[in-house]
Amino acid sequence: MKKLYILGALVLGLASCKPNLEPNAPERGDADFTSYLAVGNSTSAGFADGSLYLTGQLNSFPNILSQQFKTVGGGEFRQPLVNGEHGWPVAKKVLGYVQGPCDTMASVMPTDFSGALDTPGTYRNIADQGPFNNIGVPGIKVIHYGINGYAMANPFAARFFKDPATSNALDQINRTNHTFFTVWEGMNDVLDYAVKGGDQGSGTITNSMQFSTAFDSVMSTVTRNGAKGVVVTIPNILSLPYFNAIPAKGLRGIKEDQANKLNLAYNGTQVYFEIGDNYFVIEDTTEARGFRQIRDGEYVRLELPQDSVKCAGWGTTKPIPGMYVITADEVAKINAALTDFNSSIIKNATKYQIPVLDLRDYYNEVKNNGTSYNGVDYNFNFVSGGVFSLDGVHLTGRGNALLANRIIDRINTHYGSTIPFVDVNMYTGVRMP
Amino acid sequence: MKKHFLLIGSLLLSSMVYGAGFQLNLQGMRQLAMGGSGTAIPWDASTIFYNPGGMTQITNWQAYGSINVLTPRIRYVNAPTGTTTVDAVEQTYTPFNVYVAAPIGYKTRWRAGVGVYTPFGTGINWGNDWTGKYIIQDISLQAIYIQPTVSYEINDHVSVGAGFIYATGNVELNRALPTLNANGENGQAHLTGRGNGVGFNLGVHVKASDNVQFGFTYRSQVNMKVRRGFAEFSNLPTSLSGQFTNTAFSSKLPLPQVVSAGIGWMVSDRLTLQADANFVGWGTYDSLKFDYENNTSSLQDTRSARRYKNTLALRAGMHYKFSDNFAGMLGTAYDPSPVRDGFVNPDLPDSRRYLATGGLSLKLWERMTVIGVVEYIFAQERTGTSDEAGFTGTYQTKILNPGLAITYDF
Repeated sequence: MKKLYILGALVLGLASCKPNLEPNAPERGDADFTSYLAVGNSTSAGFADGSLYLTGQLNSFPNILSQQFKTVGGGEFRQPLVNGEHGWPVAKKVLGYVQGPCDTMASVMPTDFSGALDTPGTYRNIADQGPFNNIGVPGIKVIHYGINGYAMANPFAARFFKDPATSNALDQINRTNHTFFTVWEGMNDVLDYAVKGGDQGSGTITNSMQFSTAFDSVMSTVTRNGAKGVVVTIPNILSLPYFNAIPAKGLRGIKEDQANKLNLAYNGTQVYFEIGDNYFVIEDTTEARGFRQIRDGEYVRLELPQDSVKCAGWGTTKPIPGMYVITADEVAKINAALTDFNSSIIKNATKYQIPVLDLRDYYNEVKNNGTSYNGVDYNFNFVSGGVFSLDGVHLTGRGNALLANRIIDRINTHYGSTIPFVDVNMYTGVRMP
Repeated sequence: MKKHFLLIGSLLLSSMVYGAGFQLNLQGMRQLAMGGSGTAIPWDASTIFYNPGGMTQITNWQAYGSINVLTPRIRYVNAPTGTTTVDAVEQTYTPFNVYVAAPIGYKTRWRAGVGVYTPFGTGINWGNDWTGKYIIQDISLQAIYIQPTVSYEINDHVSVGAGFIYATGNVELNRALPTLNANGENGQAHLTGRGNGVGFNLGVHVKASDNVQFGFTYRSQVNMKVRRGFAEFSNLPTSLSGQFTNTAFSSKLPLPQVVSAGIGWMVSDRLTLQADANFVGWGTYDSLKFDYENNTSSLQDTRSARRYKNTLALRAGMHYKFSDNFAGMLGTAYDPSPVRDGFVNPDLPDSRRYLATGGLSLKLWERMTVIGVVEYIFAQERTGTSDEAGFTGTYQTKILNPGLAITYDF
């Protein structure tokens, strides 16, 4: 008997030398994650690096969320996956060495992926594999949701909408018996205008009244079975790398003789060049001369052709065409739309008693100060920041995971659930050659 | 990219603190068995560490050697609810101590001795691909103090002692770099460094009566200087290799001053009680600077906040003689953590500790004594964040630490 006690004490003693800490079991709280539906645009769809490709879709924030939901009873999450990694319908962007006609040496720049074309057949409609839990459509605006036959004008929708010729996006929402949803919609209603070049481009800003009506119908459709979810606001689109990779004062290294020559040529105008960094000369039809220098608080689009700057004197001897520039007037229109759209999003979410994740503060915080996750620093810088992919608008896998964590945080707070956060660094970021 | 390297800088030094932050207190086995107390009563030659003033109580040549064999077991769980549970790879460490003390001449008031002991000697290995790999993968550290010492008996009651400390140490660590090559693999950094520094250890021993003794010691801060460590980088994207060239670096780390006061009370012929208070001046460890020899735009010199706080550790123990040759010890201690919330790193998952210790001492024959000791560390679970790294988790540490000492009287 005594020996038994000693043996028991020994076993206890040894057992107490091993860590026995276990994570708390995640709980679902007041929400039901059995069937999750993601409603949104390109970011929800997993569009990245300027195209749609398999890994991008697998790294979409809805797909990441669905994996976390599985810890609290979440079910299968079906996405309309493309066939391969090349990108569809165009090649995705990758970083490579690029040497333009006026470059003395090659530098690391985004360039078209040149690997195997493994996406043939992706255009075929795969609606019979649905219903899909992720109905994010690249390019879709809120005002498109009620348009019958919308898919005929959008190849991304045509791929997976059921009855594409006659149905609308709301019908796709109605295909699922979802119990939980995310709605991140409305960005294209203003981004379309901005990425196509503002007043000189072909994009438009949605009318605020139409936006509100359309958003209401999205909300009434998505909540129809008493489903709960989260609605995400539109962050400041002008904080995207797409509008900041090329700074307003982005003319680097102007030398004294160049500055003198330019100042002579622009004699009698407001345009003035200093030695060093300078503001681009841009087209502005509201000016008497039709041009001026860009100012702080105005933006140059990422798609500004670098060759034209280097070889053809854009920004110095020739004004940059207005479609590549977001002027202060255009910025004001964008900001007014963002304010209207977001108040309409918040108003409608409140109407249907759905919590809102207001991304505006988070985007501002990361834009201004960056954020750290498990030893890796993230910010909004193009390429090096790690959050945005090579198109400057859509997220990397890690960017999607950071967003997923914000959404999980909002869900946990509102629904009293304890869904675990995502290990952000497990996902892919920007790869360097 | 710039800020990434802040973390490498912060890493090396915080890691070296790992040893000191744990304040090993394994410098004498009989003292360890009494909760690590030993300032008041000079039990044997290990008083060179615990109180140089007590060395006057050594009456003949004595050699002392001890070793501990400890295997910390540490678990990380991501908080608040997680799917990640990581156990650090188990590694065994063997810190050792050697002391020699002797009277200088016949019927003298002077004693001389030297101690070689291991105040640091630990590390942690989380594996190469764990969730915190960009902060730390593994680190190992060894530090040895060499302390020649003299003591002088002023009168029957009061003795003083002083030792000079030469400290030498080395550190090696690995961490992943947040670069991704074309295959999506991270870069890798490997840092090695040797450091050294000097300090001193002063003590006063007071025999207030036949039954009561006091001890007071002051161990100075030792500024460990890494004059020329090496940082090596591998598995980088070709386009970034120019930004991360292997380079030398220099740095320094203040190991804090410790002020101790102790009391010993011989309750009876058989029973002795003793207690210590240690004030540890961690507060000087405010920040950590790193100076790289070859700076690039991605590899800048760094400064990283540590903001440690001073701590007060309390230790107590009892010593019971079953016979002239056989004694038993028990002890306990309370050892708070200098690491503030917001600065809890996986390379130093430090937390408040409580110790339970016990040991036996057996005089094998007239000249030789063997001491066996077991220390069990109750480290509080700590849920903490490293604000700098954006890393949160709960850590649990379990340490069972057996030790053995042999003393030999010539």
